[in-house]
Amino acid sequence: MTIKQTLLKTILDKSSKNPVAKLFIHRGTCGEATDIVSICEKLGIIELAVSLNAEIVETSCDGRCWAAPSVTAQKIDGVGASYSRRFDRIDLDINIEELTEVLDLATVHNVFDDGATGLTSRFGQLDGTLLAAVELGAYAVAEKVFRQDQKNILSKIEESKLSGRGGAHFPTGLKWKLAAQNEGPRYLVVNAEEGEPGVFKDRHLLEADPHRLIEGILICCYAVGVEKAFVYINGQAHKAIESFSAALEQARISGITGPEFLPEKMAIDIEVRAGAGGYVCGEESVILNSIEGERPVPRFKPPFATNEGLWGMPTVINNVETLAAVTTLWQDFPPPTKLVSLSGNVARPGVYEVPADETLSWNGFLLSVGAKLETVPAILLGGPSGIFVHREKFEERIEMKNIGAGGIFVLSPNTSVREITNSLASYNERESCGECTPCREGTIRLTELLKQETVDLKKVEELIEVMEEASLCMLGGMAGRPVKSAIENFPTTWSWVER
Amino acid sequence: MIPFDVTSDDAGDRLANFEKQLLTLPALKSYLLPAFHIAQECLDWLPRESILGIANHLRIPLSEVYATATAYSELRLEKPEYGAWYMCTGVACEAAGAQRIMDAVEIAPERFGRTDCQFLCSLAPVCTNHHGKILGRLTENRVRAIFVEDVGG
Repeated sequence: MTIKQTLLKTILDKSSKNPVAKLFIHRGTCGEATDIVSICEKLGIIELAVSLNAEIVETSCDGRCWAAPSVTAQKIDGVGASYSRRFDRIDLDINIEELTEVLDLATVHNVFDDGATGLTSRFGQLDGTLLAAVELGAYAVAEKVFRQDQKNILSKIEESKLSGRGGAHFPTGLKWKLAAQNEGPRYLVVNAEEGEPGVFKDRHLLEADPHRLIEGILICCYAVGVEKAFVYINGQAHKAIESFSAALEQARISGITGPEFLPEKMAIDIEVRAGAGGYVCGEESVILNSIEGERPVPRFKPPFATNEGLWGMPTVINNVETLAAVTTLWQDFPPPTKLVSLSGNVARPGVYEVPADETLSWNGFLLSVGAKLETVPAILLGGPSGIFVHREKFEERIEMKNIGAGGIFVLSPNTSVREITNSLASYNERESCGECTPCREGTIRLTELLKQETVDLKKVEELIEVMEEASLCMLGGMAGRPVKSAIENFPTTWSWVER
Repeated sequence: MIPFDVTSDDAGDRLANFEKQLLTLPALKSYLLPAFHIAQECLDWLPRESILGIANHLRIPLSEVYATATAYSELRLEKPEYGAWYMCTGVACEAAGAQRIMDAVEIAPERFGRTDCQFLCSLAPVCTNHHGKILGRLTENRVRAIFVEDVGG
């Protein structure tokens, strides 16, 4: 019997009505990985909620992964007051009144306000039904946007300066416009592969608010003139696939993807495809090959996907977060935000929504998420193709162009930069698809060179240059990036053969 | 290609279920990866029978089906080690002591292996099994308990 079934039975038995509070049980991947279900059973959480006349909502991780396993209590008439607790750190005498009344800075997971309008505003609050999503604003923007001409929508996206949130930051409006200019049929591919170690924000978005992505897909399809969309989700992200597929089915059944909701009698076919591993599968042309049933290897560019994508037809390829962000652009004051995935030497790892307008410094961000700055020698941005930011640069503003897909790993004093760099190089070597020589052979040579006791710097630099210029895709092209960054930031980490 | 182990009690049912589900897919090349997923869900891995069945249904040369299967790291071309767990060795998990835990618990590598990033870095260190179940914020004691409790998922 699931928690919900148990609760329903208990509620029916007690004929409880008009609940005074909601108790959100965070059963996302994070909750399940930390045994939320058995802990709730052991602690008698359900009985407690029922006795306090609280409604139980089984929901996703709210981005506060650090708190898992956790529940959040919220008064029905409360104004956003909520409190999460990690069970293994408290006594077991949980009091809903106390949880509701205590508001802790640490629980404000959208670091910089505007949570009500941002991408994470519905995280950890939905119970998996369409009704709950609609009550919290899902599809309201699409409804408004569908009254507008496609050209106006394309202009709006361009004016917003929204850029690709998968890491390349290509202007979204331009991409849509280029595809719309070409003769159809056109396709949309949603890149939810998210195969970059250290990045997990798209999975959270898919689990926590799948209807936001569907809404973004519908807006894109209408604006560009697309009738078939593929959502390519990482095969290991089981909960994300489950959650998105369920939401899609709800949207289909209720007519949201058809002419009942869409303008101009449009019907959009959205198909979920699960990936099957490989870092390279996040590369957009690899996804195209994978969907077509070809080997998952990159294509030569040009032609670009907006001209010749799936089956040679114009195709928009957008990251999950990019399309989700589209739904925030029609608010009065759209908050320019970026989701980041935070892990490592920090008190509160999780998914955060940070300003994308470069007003925030690394110091400010790290302090707000509970890092002890004196213990942080550097951070790694973006995993195997990322860069290190040395503590001396923490005063600098967070720049979107450096942040990639949003993976932030905070180093601790005993983390070896050399080991991390070697580990990233080995990862790139394992993940190279072997299609082009510079990457296939280059990643092997780079790993070998870095493992030498005394590293030949000249050879490393020459090799990276070749890989950057001649690799078929950015796996090879950016494999040397963390190495170069480590050399620049931590020159004494290795003993070098001088240039 | 390795044939399916037909000696187990449910082998016939599992193969029949795979074939039944495979036929629900349109006979188009685009459904190659979904077909692989069906095979792996029904049979836990991709034995010879599944590769042949997929090639036949989707009308793709056998060599191409096999070559494509080898290109995806999550597709298994050998029977998995049942009951095995795999420690994530991504940067966050390594930094959180994944290797130290593996050394300390001294569990045979065929039962407790290593795997690449599982994308739950916020709960590092984590481990997973072939069902895709993930357990996070591991300690030595928790890992030892995993091999005693039935948490296979």
